[in-house]
Amino acid sequence: MNAYPTAADADVALLLEGTYPFVSGGVSSWMHQIILAHPDLRFALVFLGSRRDDYPAMRYELPANVVHLETHFLHDDLSEAPDTPRSRPGNTAAFADIDALHSAFRSGEAVSPKLMQTACAHIRPGGAIPEHDFRHAEAAWQRITDHYRKHCSDPSFVDYFWSVRIMHQPLWQLARIADKLIPARAYHSISTGYAGFLGALLAQATGRPLILTEHGIYTKERKIDLFQSEWINDNRNAFQRDPTELSYFRQLWIRFFEQMGRLSYDAADPIIALYETNRARQITDGAAAERTQVIPNGVSIARLAPLRAQRGDAIPPVLCLIGRVVPIKDVKNFIRAMRTVITRLPGAEAWIAGPLDEDPAYVAECRNLIDSLDLGDTVRLLGMQRIDALLPKIGLVVLSSISEALPLVVLEGFAAGVPCVSTDVGSCRQLIEGGDAEDRAFGSAGAVVGIADPQALADAALNLLSHPERWRAARDAGIRRVEARYSDALMFQRYRAVYDHALAPSLAKEPQS
Amino acid sequence: MFALFSGLSALLLEGLALWLLGTAEHHTHPLAIFLLAHLAASALLALTALALMPSLTAGSRRSSGLLMFALSAFIPLLGFAGIAAGLWIGRYRLAASRPRGLRTLDLPALDPHQRERKGFHQSGVSGFLRNRRVPTPQRLKALVALQHVPGRVASPLLRDLLGDDSEDLRLLAYGMLDRKEKTLNAQIHAEQQRLSSARSSITQALAHTRLAGLYWELIYQQLAQGDLRTHAAEAGLRHAREALALRPSGAGLYLRCGQCLLALGRAPEAEVAFEAARAAGLPDHRVLPHLAELAFLRRDFAAVRRLLAPLGSWRGMMGVQKVAQFWSPQ
Repeated sequence: MNAYPTAADADVALLLEGTYPFVSGGVSSWMHQIILAHPDLRFALVFLGSRRDDYPAMRYELPANVVHLETHFLHDDLSEAPDTPRSRPGNTAAFADIDALHSAFRSGEAVSPKLMQTACAHIRPGGAIPEHDFRHAEAAWQRITDHYRKHCSDPSFVDYFWSVRIMHQPLWQLARIADKLIPARAYHSISTGYAGFLGALLAQATGRPLILTEHGIYTKERKIDLFQSEWINDNRNAFQRDPTELSYFRQLWIRFFEQMGRLSYDAADPIIALYETNRARQITDGAAAERTQVIPNGVSIARLAPLRAQRGDAIPPVLCLIGRVVPIKDVKNFIRAMRTVITRLPGAEAWIAGPLDEDPAYVAECRNLIDSLDLGDTVRLLGMQRIDALLPKIGLVVLSSISEALPLVVLEGFAAGVPCVSTDVGSCRQLIEGGDAEDRAFGSAGAVVGIADPQALADAALNLLSHPERWRAARDAGIRRVEARYSDALMFQRYRAVYDHALAPSLAKEPQS
Repeated sequence: MFALFSGLSALLLEGLALWLLGTAEHHTHPLAIFLLAHLAASALLALTALALMPSLTAGSRRSSGLLMFALSAFIPLLGFAGIAAGLWIGRYRLAASRPRGLRTLDLPALDPHQRERKGFHQSGVSGFLRNRRVPTPQRLKALVALQHVPGRVASPLLRDLLGDDSEDLRLLAYGMLDRKEKTLNAQIHAEQQRLSSARSSITQALAHTRLAGLYWELIYQQLAQGDLRTHAAEAGLRHAREALALRPSGAGLYLRCGQCLLALGRAPEAEVAFEAARAAGLPDHRVLPHLAELAFLRRDFAAVRRLLAPLGSWRGMMGVQKVAQFWSPQ
């Protein structure tokens, strides 16, 4: 079953949470690009997922320079230790260190590296606080009950106990993964969260550098999930409840992920964002400004530019959303916009090109919406498509997402001569209208509209499709911008410098050892 | 400069007046000459005082000037000396002891979020959410509080926030709106399944009634916009009519038809439906507000007044009551 490549060591260990190579999408495509662009480096992939069943198959053929792949499923393999509790006091001094760490978290100040190092050493296999002690020692119970009395505003101790336990248990699991991982000369995490924390553990244990690239902002996305999640209980009764106060357990989870992000930032250098707004957000969330930098995504101009010649003179009245059919892409917004587009431009068509198997319930909702708006003939769910075959046939790339970072499909569209209408998310405005003055001089490569506003999306698309001169001006602006600013060559050059810098110390040591 | 000149002139004139008084035996009209010089000196002193005193409004300038003149004129010598001494003390002695380096400060504007309070009661959640100066974490908490607010109130606020600068707020507002819509759409879907498997006319009528209500809810909670709103109104109308065909006595269904027709902009048909609801026995307080709305749309304000008059004393829904009070003749 497990036919993954293995090796004794690697140059760079990539720490991947819920993404490449088991999930397709923008981040995974980017990861694939990066690995292919560095054929001289030997990569190890450490994949962290929730349940094994959620990731049945690899979506990418592993490049030859991926020498090692291991998978860990935090929900399935929660505990390695057999669950046979027996009386144990626990190491009081080590637990006092953990107390000090929590006090530092509460105070909101930066955690001292020494304290963090000590705490990490305690949870490592063979450390002063084994997982058994966390689950069964008297010292652990003492802490949990104390903290409940001092800080918890929810009356249910049972819920508090299990929240604390479930929240912290993966940390021991990550410590085991870090302990067993093959040696690497540098670590590269693609998010904060569990992968980022694993990176922090590895960097501390080995002294090797941790590179952190964030496409979206993990902590922010997790926070939005937690605000809305329905599995977190609020046990306050009518007199205890203040509807304007978040339930304690919700706050607890949010703080947990905030701290995980912070610890990842503390350990990482450099901390890379895809665009300036996200870099600023990382600094707000605790990243040291001097360690942050921006490296935007890039696409292969050489591969995509020839597609321009395959297009005829006429502008195809085809609006295409290229992306996974999942709620974050707000495909329903696109479908709703098509109701207006079809009414005003009867020959128009909408294509939705992207995998349909990630969220079948959402796909069903989309199909229901298409039927209820009588768009069965004009809106087509195509499933996964080859972008080279698709781009010459479409008139507009449409992005109706509620959240994005720096979407590759917009750049791919530009490179192939297709303008874009997008919602105002992530760096889309910068991609379409330009960032600095020099960038804006290239012109507007489409239009940007507010999120969840189908009418505005439709108006913007119709404005371009029914005015060929505007469409051509947008196309030319897109080509100019992507060639000048977002080529993959530029991105590879920047990552080459990052890897060279990270690997340099270990290269310097090797001849001596 | 003027103050110096007029001050010196006043002093000289007053001195002259006193000297004239002292040498009265040498003059033919000593008192008249004295008074002339004394009054002129008093007037000049009053002008000097006005020039040296802090700025005053027009009214108080006049009265202050008159007071100075009167004091100096009617209390010879002492009045003059008192005013001169007062001016000297006020202008030069007290001014010297005034602390330097003061700046003019603006009064702080009231911004209730800055108060040390946990809740949002002072400014209301909507004020909090719309105030971009409030830190994002606090606005996020205010937004979460909207989860407990009825959809009709929350939806416009949430829709406003879709264009907010903070991505966190945008995403959460979107998620909350989407969840409300999703819940209703899931109920519609389930009800449609029930309808397709319904055998008896009673269960069919019930399913149609519930579907009409659910579609109307999409409109009422302002979750459906533009073409989708039209679609929801048409679907609501269709199901309400289907239910009426199976159960003609349903007074509430006529009302639902009227509401959907009104949402579709078909006012004359809506009026017929509302009248039918009234005829079928629906109480006045449920139908009259709709009929009044129709009259308002026709700009028939007399009819609005007449239709709302019976609701003035009705202790029911606050919104309707306030509208009725507004249109009442008192």
